[in-house]
Amino acid sequence: MFISSLALQLDGRLDGRVEAPGDSRERLLEFGFDYCYWSVNPEAPNYASQEEVFHDLGVSVLAGAAEGYNICLFAYGQTGSGKTYTMMGTPDSTGLTPRICQLSIFSYFSFLEIYNERVRDLLRGNDQKKPTPLRVREHPEKGPYVQGLSQHVVSDYKQAEHLLKEGISNRITAATHVHDASSRSHAIFSIQYTQAILENNLPSEIVSKINLVDLAGSERADPHYCRDRITEGANINKSLVTLGIVISALAQNSQMCSSSQSINSMLSEGDGSTVGSHSSSLSSSGRRHCFIPYRDSVLTWLLKDSLGGNSKTIMIATISPSYSSYNETLSTLRYAAHARNIVNKPRVNEDANVRLIRDLREEIDRLKSMLLNFSMRNPSPSLSDERDGSFSDIVLQNEIKVCA
Amino acid sequence: MASVNSREWRAVCEKFLRSQELSEKESRKDPENDPFRSKYEARELLKEIYCFLKNVDADESEEEEEEGEEEDGQCEQSESEGGEAAGGRTHPGDSRAGLRAAKLGVVEYYLGVNHIETEELSAGEEHLMSCVKLLEKCAVTRENVSLCIQARNQLGILWAGRDETEKAQGFLETAKSIYVRYMKEDGQPPLDLVDFFVVEQEAPSQQERMRRFEMVYTHTLYYLAQVYKNLEQYEKAGQYCHSTLQRQLKFSQFVPLEWAINAAALSQYYITKTRYMEARHCLAAANVIAGLAGEVPSEAAAKESEVEYEKREQLRQKRAEIARCWIKYCRNLLEDAKKLLEDNIGELDLDRQEEMLRARRDEEEEKERGRKSAVLFDSSDTFDSICRQEEKVSSVLPLIFEEASAIFLVGQGYVAQAKEYFEMDGHVTDHIEILQDHSALFKVLAFFEERLERRCKMHKRRVDILEPICKDLNPQYYLLICRQLQFELAETFNEMMDLKLGVADKQDQPDAHTIKKLNHLCTSSIKYYQMFLDSIRSPEGKFPEKLEDDLLRPALAAKFRVARLQSKIITTNLNAQLENLNHSLDSYNFVVQYCEENPEAKKAVETELELSEEMVSLLPMKINRIKSKLASSN
Repeated sequence: MFISSLALQLDGRLDGRVEAPGDSRERLLEFGFDYCYWSVNPEAPNYASQEEVFHDLGVSVLAGAAEGYNICLFAYGQTGSGKTYTMMGTPDSTGLTPRICQLSIFSYFSFLEIYNERVRDLLRGNDQKKPTPLRVREHPEKGPYVQGLSQHVVSDYKQAEHLLKEGISNRITAATHVHDASSRSHAIFSIQYTQAILENNLPSEIVSKINLVDLAGSERADPHYCRDRITEGANINKSLVTLGIVISALAQNSQMCSSSQSINSMLSEGDGSTVGSHSSSLSSSGRRHCFIPYRDSVLTWLLKDSLGGNSKTIMIATISPSYSSYNETLSTLRYAAHARNIVNKPRVNEDANVRLIRDLREEIDRLKSMLLNFSMRNPSPSLSDERDGSFSDIVLQNEIKVCA
Repeated sequence: MASVNSREWRAVCEKFLRSQELSEKESRKDPENDPFRSKYEARELLKEIYCFLKNVDADESEEEEEEGEEEDGQCEQSESEGGEAAGGRTHPGDSRAGLRAAKLGVVEYYLGVNHIETEELSAGEEHLMSCVKLLEKCAVTRENVSLCIQARNQLGILWAGRDETEKAQGFLETAKSIYVRYMKEDGQPPLDLVDFFVVEQEAPSQQERMRRFEMVYTHTLYYLAQVYKNLEQYEKAGQYCHSTLQRQLKFSQFVPLEWAINAAALSQYYITKTRYMEARHCLAAANVIAGLAGEVPSEAAAKESEVEYEKREQLRQKRAEIARCWIKYCRNLLEDAKKLLEDNIGELDLDRQEEMLRARRDEEEEKERGRKSAVLFDSSDTFDSICRQEEKVSSVLPLIFEEASAIFLVGQGYVAQAKEYFEMDGHVTDHIEILQDHSALFKVLAFFEERLERRCKMHKRRVDILEPICKDLNPQYYLLICRQLQFELAETFNEMMDLKLGVADKQDQPDAHTIKKLNHLCTSSIKYYQMFLDSIRSPEGKFPEKLEDDLLRPALAAKFRVARLQSKIITTNLNAQLENLNHSLDSYNFVVQYCEENPEAKKAVETELELSEEMVSLLPMKINRIKSKLASSN
């Protein structure tokens, strides 16, 4: 299950309208989301506090986990628009993560960072001298996981808060031009939520995973901001190193039934890594099955289960009310509206059931003629009306005759 | 340069070198808060060089300058790229004026690039356009051909960045035609841009010059690929990607693994276009070039060092990925052939087969030969190895079992190879996709097999492949895959039952063993459909009142099939018969009722609904007959 509930935070108008800056041409664009919040000025009558956001979103995260769903909550938006504020918060105004932590004590916690496609454990402490990047793997029973990532159990909120602080201070937060406290790394705080239940009077437990994701800034991959990022849109990539991206886009585009199954296009926009895709889902006939041999970004890998399948996903799009961010705001909103539609369709391959239908039609005809015999008051007990039936019917007749 | 004294010139050259150094190397180390420091320094140096050239040459060739001004007037009309070819070219590129223009052009070019890199796009454009204008007055020669192309490459990039893709296309197409014409008319190693500013003894070899020049053109093609991709002209984009790869190979400008993966990816593009000849060529080349990347370090070596570990990981992964591209090749080739040969109930159409075989004898070979010459990676010393790889598998749609079987075996070989790296432990989704492909290979092979028993065995292999993993997988994380596997297993058992029924129909007296076998297949199929249907239930076990769009059709179709299968269980026990038919009726009823409550579902399952409605009205009669029989037998 995939529930995309999009919260429009920091938007000027509650109905989610954005006005073009300044000029005389007035342009109104509308986007529909499940929630919208304005959190710029605490004095404003419509100000949405962290409590309120938690009340709407955090509570549903915990409720979903209690039901046994995996939950993923991630924030997307331009650097400086309040992603980290929403996810982590400040000491006087705690964000979603600490609030959710507070209510899931005795669970396993882990905290990692993805920077330049490398995974770092943020709770490793200082015991490792040279932090080697961790590897992302999949387990048949436990799903995607990071090999060697430290897991922590806490018994009270203080400890949880301490872990969170430690992790945050370990993040690589390279200053960008826009916002110095912003980050170019993705951070994932995971809670393995376990609860004891009685199933058929036997003690059992429900295990679910909550992923709280603070994505890197969404600003356009621009050499000005980050030179190792790949440009998007109509831009031309200069270096031949990016030939693979062009080819993979080509192969993807020309796939006949190109319903975007790829969650990559959604998540790796921010980190600009080589986008790969598997036409993982089987599909209706006519479409060709391809394998496009570029690896998914680490982020996509880790959130695979959150974005396709048995999981509830909440996306928070953060935007800035400033005119100067108009373009970014617009692209964030477009992206969010698009993300709403990226539901990983559990398409199953259904074989042509022509034969089945043909057989059934024959049976229906047989049954009809039987009915006809009935209505003509010809209650022939010989079952001859089923003479030409399928093998199973013939077997049946034989047996019945024997019995008779 | 006779009149410029050599010391002065040497200083200019050093300045130029320094500007390159600043722009390319030192700029990378610029601090975040002053990111263009080195670029700005480089720009100043370039400006100084520009002034020097202007002054020196102005003294030297005042006459020519005047002449030049007149020409400026003439040239004005040919500003657009299209009109350029006809534009007024007067002096040859290697004349004194031509050389002067080229030198100034080089500096303009670098100034242009410098401004673009520092986000002053308009200024950058102006410099690049002055470069183009300077050269417009000259014929294309060894001296300026590279510059002509590079300036247009840059303008192409610039305009593409402004979302003016057609404009970019114009510049790049011109660049391409300049190259083509030069190679046709001259073809000698041309001067590189930096060659104008090196002292003689440091001048690069002819070979090196040619290499650089070809690289410039490879980039032109690569940019064209992207432009056409953005214009959604995928056919052309594909061609240019192919040429880019081809040229990388030809001029040995590639990293083996990277190249191989790109070629393998391109094969997948060709597959979607059903161009199997090209797809195979790409894959064969991928195999060969990936082989150049060296030996896989042993496990022991990988344990010793992180570097060896990485290398081992990379090589194994990339080769396994290429294997997966081959699997898809084999699978699609077989499936396309099946589509061509099947009749309206999915069986091999013998008349069609005969017709196709005849047609192939007549024309096929002729046609393929013609196509082959167009797109080969023909210019490298690896060509023979590539051909040998190609010979291992056909690229023509198989029409008979033997041909299909040969392709199947190749595919199966790659399945084994891919699974070596993509193990279940650690690569769950990848591993399973490979198994699903393996199953699909068996399925399509069965289509070509005439003997029912053997066909049934092939489907049995599918069950053997898929059933164990379906049990191991946790649906909490892999729900999607679980559902796919359940559905496929249900269908496979169903298929096997149909085949077994076919076999049994030929027997006179079906024995108890056959009946038991049939019932086992039937109940297994029901079981997996049921598992699929159960996966839709909520954690509390409730079936949703309203199915999500994407589940609607599969769920109702599954229910419908369950209904059918339930009535097919063979038993002599009238009570059991009664029970099975009642189950069947319930299932048909479910479909009918769901569509009554959700009329929008009707469209998705039109035929199933119609048949279910009929069954709902007819089955009670059958049930009643059994009931009365039961009553009378008591």
